[in-house]
This record gives sequence, structure tokens and C-alpha cells, in this order.
Amino acid sequence: MFSKIFIILLMFINPQLIAAPMSYKGSITTMGEASKHFSKVESNYALTGKDSIGIKAFKLKGDGYDVYGEGLFYLKRLMRVNEIESQTNLWLFTESGQVSVKKNSRNNDHFYLSPKIQFDYETRRIYAMTSHQILRVQHDNFDTTKAKAGFSFHKTEYNETQPWFILELIHTNSMSKKLEIIPTIRLINKALYLEAGVSTDGNPKLHLMHTF
Amino acid sequence: MKKILLILLFTLHSVAMAQTQKIEVMGMVCAFCAQGIEKSLKSLDQVNDVYVNLDNYFVIVDSNSNNGVQDEILTKIIVDAGYDVKSIQVINDSVALIRAKYENK
Repeated sequence: MFSKIFIILLMFINPQLIAAPMSYKGSITTMGEASKHFSKVESNYALTGKDSIGIKAFKLKGDGYDVYGEGLFYLKRLMRVNEIESQTNLWLFTESGQVSVKKNSRNNDHFYLSPKIQFDYETRRIYAMTSHQILRVQHDNFDTTKAKAGFSFHKTEYNETQPWFILELIHTNSMSKKLEIIPTIRLINKALYLEAGVSTDGNPKLHLMHTF
Repeated sequence: MKKILLILLFTLHSVAMAQTQKIEVMGMVCAFCAQGIEKSLKSLDQVNDVYVNLDNYFVIVDSNSNNGVQDEILTKIIVDAGYDVKSIQVINDSVALIRAKYENK
């Protein structure tokens, strides 16, 4: 019941959906992601141009595990280097809440504390990102390492749709021994964000966002 | 005749009151992010129109004040959106003219 209320709440406080972890001061940013092994929805409010607080629900599935969590997080932009043609960022997420871990008919609820560090670099034509999240629940290790890199097919004006090719690599401990490789097409314009891909194992991933 | 004179005076007054500023922005590489700048600038009472140009890294602001928007306010908006300001200058062309120039290339 709490989970449904949480997700409905996320949907209703959702005036803006964007790709970056947070937006400008006073804005509310909501993101969603869904794939076979990982789904999440989160929303944050930017207290300043560098800090935001948010709520999040996520699900991990694989290798006999079903992990479901709900929590609050604080996002801090530790560093940004703005050059005329590029932007470089270092982000720190600190998240905590309640997580439910199911395996072999066991079902345990726990408090969790999960830090994540993310580094990204972007120009009008190139995008690269790497992140590492630590998530430990008693003796289970669900740390996730992610990397994304790609290029835009061409530059676009502010109001035009910009197409990108992005290659995504994900590995989550305890979920799979394999590295998940997902070639993705990303389309961005100022109002719409669509990311769609199929992993090399044939699992689809879809990411649709819109700005209201 | 009196009406025409009044309209002419009103138009001239509006033109005289308006000012356009060009802001060169550092780090403005994607449209999603640049929306923050556009929305924040448009929320100012004295701002009539805003034009964002990603290719040339600038934002143009039309205001209904003959002094324009204070540089400190423009800088704060850009910085709060996550970017840095390289320069701010007053220019003669309006947003409409500059938009037409770049979008009809």
C-alpha cells in the first residue's frame, strides 16, 4: 500500500522530467528507468543550483533475488567545470530508506544507506558517464557500476530533436555475473527525452521523459 | 489623425523603453539543461522574450525596461541554473531579429 502511494506521489509532483540528476534552483526533476533487471522512479527538488533532496523507489531483479527499496536521498554537485563547449560534473548521492530482499522464499526488510558517486562529461556531440553505487544489505552486496558513452549524430538547435547513440554497460553484484551491454538510441529535445535500447542478451530497456 | 499620433507615440515609447542583452554562457551544451535558463529568465516581470542559441553559446533577453535586467540578476539566474557567464552586453538587435537570423540560415 505504501509503495503504491509513494509511486502515485512521485507521479503527481512531477512538473518536469529531465535527463540530468538535478536541474536549476527551485525546480523539481523526476526520472524513471525500466529494464529487466533494474527499475526506478525518483523525484528531487533543487534547494540550490548544487543541492537537491528527493524521494526514490527502485527494484532489482536477478539471480533469484527480488530487491525492492524506497527511500530519501540528498544529491550534491561536488564539482562542475563549465567550459565554452563542454561541461564536466562530479555528483554525490546519499540515499537511505527501507529495502526488502527476497530470495529462496526468504523475505527480509532492512534499513539501508547507499552512497553513489557519478562523474560525467558532455559536449554538444560527445557524452560520457561513469558511476558506482554501494548498496549492502546485511551479507548481500548489490553494488552497481555503470558506464555510458556515446555521440550525437549531429548538432541541433535549441528547439530541434537531437539524436544520440549511447552504449551503456551495467554490472550489479549478486544480480548477474555478466556485464550487461545495452546499445541505445537517445532522442532529446527541450520537451521530450526518449531512450530505447536492447541489451546484447535481448532484454529491452526504455526510458521516456517529458517536460511539462 | 489624433489616434495615429497616439499610436505612433506609444510605439516609439515602447521601442525606446526596450533593451536587449546578450549573455555568453559557459557549459550550455544541451537543450534539456538550458531550459532552466529560459524558464527562469521568462519568469522575470521585465523580460519580454528569450532566445537560446546552443551553437553559439549565447542567450538573448528582451526586456521592457530601458535599463535592461541588472547584470547581477542575469548572472545569478545563469549560475543557479548551473552555468557560468562569460560576458553580458547590450546589443541593438531584438530577440525576434536574432531568432530570424539564426533560424533562417
